[in-house]
Amino acid sequence: MRFNSYRKSVYFFTVLGVCMVALAVALNVGWVVMHWRHIAWLVLGIIFFVFIIAGLVLNTIYLVREIRRNEQHDSFINAVTHELKTPIASIRLYLETLQTREVDQGRQQEFYRTMLDDTDRLLHTVEQILRASRTGHRRRQIHQSVIDLGELVRECLELARKRTHLDPSSLRYIDSGNGDAPALVQGDSDELRAAVSNLIDNAIKYSGEEIDVSVEVAPVDERQVAVRVIDRGIGIPRTDLKEVFKRFYRVPRRVASKVKGTGLGLFIVRSVVTKHGGKTFAESEGEGQGSTFTILLPKVPE
Amino acid sequence: MRARPVVLIVEDEQHLAEGLRFNLEAEGYEVEIAGDGESALEVLSRNPLQFDAIVLDVMLPGKNGFEVASELRATGRYIPILMLTARNRPADVLRGFEAGADDYLPKPFELAILIARLGGLLRRQTWFNRSQNASEYAQPDDENQLFNFAGKTIDFGALQLRAGEKVVRLTVMEAELLRYLAKHEGKAVSRRSVLEEVWGLNEETDTRAIDNFIVRLRKYIEDEPSRPRHLLTVRGVGYRFVAEPEN
Repeated sequence: MRFNSYRKSVYFFTVLGVCMVALAVALNVGWVVMHWRHIAWLVLGIIFFVFIIAGLVLNTIYLVREIRRNEQHDSFINAVTHELKTPIASIRLYLETLQTREVDQGRQQEFYRTMLDDTDRLLHTVEQILRASRTGHRRRQIHQSVIDLGELVRECLELARKRTHLDPSSLRYIDSGNGDAPALVQGDSDELRAAVSNLIDNAIKYSGEEIDVSVEVAPVDERQVAVRVIDRGIGIPRTDLKEVFKRFYRVPRRVASKVKGTGLGLFIVRSVVTKHGGKTFAESEGEGQGSTFTILLPKVPE
Repeated sequence: MRARPVVLIVEDEQHLAEGLRFNLEAEGYEVEIAGDGESALEVLSRNPLQFDAIVLDVMLPGKNGFEVASELRATGRYIPILMLTARNRPADVLRGFEAGADDYLPKPFELAILIARLGGLLRRQTWFNRSQNASEYAQPDDENQLFNFAGKTIDFGALQLRAGEKVVRLTVMEAELLRYLAKHEGKAVSRRSVLEEVWGLNEETDTRAIDNFIVRLRKYIEDEPSRPRHLLTVRGVGYRFVAEPEN
């Protein structure tokens, strides 16, 4: 299997690196023993060996990191292939069915709805990929406007409810704002909507059987407002809390591998929020304990 | 085979599963759906004889299709498997066959092709069962069922290769390949003809798929697999089977 071969090469290069460092150390010791009377030779030799050893260590680290990145990239390609081809396969199957068979009226309507769902899914994947590749370009100007964050989050929730057929009790909105003052931020509403939707989608996806997601918009202080997406799902191991925002990264666990994804969602969230001068972080008590994702955005000065 | 063959669809994408169910039922099959690998294995172990064929997706949550297929084969169940997947690089196709798939179709597939291939698998299974039943009444050394060479016996009916004390279990595909090679004993057969006539594949399947089978067969029948004497490679063509090699 492909992934094993990656792991194998990681082991191989780590072992090789360690062996070469050990060899260098042994040579160094030999040098010291041979030249302990000549201070100049001794110092020169030790400096030289330190450079060699540092080079070896760095080289090994970079190599291993590169192999890991390749592995992630590979699984990303697999996931994207699957995400793109599955809805196409489904649409095609239903079209062929409608073309070749007698289908009664009710069934026909059902088939049309299924195909529409599939096109939505396809579009979502394509947009996600395009957005992720766009975020690489720092200089791209964002369409600035003043946005009511509470309003935007409610819209996202409404969309998510419609798409997943969940009722408001399992996908709640909590407004802990200071009464009637709307939480205004400046930025690109499309991008922010994508970020919030990604967080909500993730919360639903990683919730398991029982979905209980709440989204909160709350001012933090004079200058910042927070959006929190809280779920009671499968949670995130402590060591992965920071990693999850990296491009293509997916938590390497059995539980998480049951959920399909490209590893782009949170990367998009982070880049959008950073571009808006904000911050993102994830909190979780551990696996099975649910998780909370927070976005901090600068408020528009009143 | 029963009047309405029963097909198990293992597919986590509900849309695809339901679409397939509709079509297969229209074709006169009975259909059951399993949403992931574990539940498929459970259904299969509960009632091994319930199903006539499996349509198996590869990218399943939890246990993937490759694992399901090899576990199934490891427990000695030889239900025909049609593997269905978005991954169609040669390496993936090969892995599918190695895991024990009988046929492999990339997504998105053409409905008519899928139905035809499934029909083909079931047909082959019927023929196989019939020939197996027939062999119970036939004489034990029926030349269609047993093939002797160089002190070894291939029993196509029992899917076994016997060499002295040693008994090797063959898969249906291995047995069919051996049968074909033995039928053309002494003559070179091309990889393409093996794919087409033995396994019924005629699309752009990678012809190297059979090399893996040959490697495995050599392990079974050769004394020194690295220096084959019975199963020879014919450069640029394919393979040649020699029952009694001259020294």
